Amino acid sequence: MTGLMDKVEMPKLPENQKSFAGIPEAVFVDEIDNFMGLSDNENNWEKTLHKLDEQHGKYKFMQFNLEARKRKLKQQIPDLERSLQMIEILRKQTEDKETQFLLSNQIFCKTTIPPTKTVCLWLGANVMLEYPLDEAESLLKANMESAIANLKIVEHDKDFLRDQCTTTEVNMARVYNWGIIKQRQAANKSQTSS
Amino acid sequence: MAAKVSSNSKAFQPDSDVHITFEDQQKINNFAKLNARLEDLKVELEQNKNDLKQLEEAKDEIELFDEDEQIWSLIGEVFLGNDLSGTQQYLTETQEKTKLEIKDIEHKCADIQEKMSGLKAQLYHRFGNNISLEGDD
Repeated sequence: MTGLMDKVEMPKLPENQKSFAGIPEAVFVDEIDNFMGLSDNENNWEKTLHKLDEQHGKYKFMQFNLEARKRKLKQQIPDLERSLQMIEILRKQTEDKETQFLLSNQIFCKTTIPPTKTVCLWLGANVMLEYPLDEAESLLKANMESAIANLKIVEHDKDFLRDQCTTTEVNMARVYNWGIIKQRQAANKSQTSS
Repeated sequence: MAAKVSSNSKAFQPDSDVHITFEDQQKINNFAKLNARLEDLKVELEQNKNDLKQLEEAKDEIELFDEDEQIWSLIGEVFLGNDLSGTQQYLTETQEKTKLEIKDIEHKCADIQEKMSGLKAQLYHRFGNNISLEGDD
């Protein structure tokens, strides 16, 4: 599995975009004084901090969604792997084999499978199709590859999102510090003037 | 857990305000990213090690079985019957695979840790006490 994992490349990013999901990029603040002086921020650190906090919350929400998608894919890949493993077993099989299969939750049923050249694959949407072993294998492999490609997309987006999150966190810390400095300066001024 | 700039109120000294350049920001981002990836890998490693332990136990368990005894092993959603040597072979193969996987993950972990300590040194050098990059462990 690890072999295939490294072999499948991440698909190309859409043009002019740094993430697949089109996640907005967090601005990097170079000069904090200039940033606070922007008309949107009006030199009001509390308001700016609130805005950044809101943005941070949005990023966290996206992160949560991506995490859920990743979990789903991570589960799908071993499932496909097991199906492939089963095909391999069926291919090697030359005589009747005894099995116990899941009839319903927690209920297993004994049965014998004769050697077979075909398997039925569940395609979803209440459709099941019979395939020769080779074709079934290539179909499952193709599914596996697309699952891995999707996983890579999600991982890329997760990385990108983390960057934006961290940038926003740093910005928040800096805006906060800026606010403290300004407050102290104001306090000093009123002390000296009184 | 994640790297956070902790230049907040308690340890805050007005004169210790540092200017953060774009490169610094990139480094902080990178560090946070590597940290997150390391956490993911640790979970995966734990799972694989657990699997390996269980495989070993299973192997020990069937050691004393008779050769012609039918052993059921769960593959996917069905139990397949197999004789002793077949099951042992299956277990050994799975064990080898898991071991390879563990090696791979450990290799990746070491790689990330190396990069992280490099970044850590750079960032501490740059920001001193204004930044905290330690994990929970």
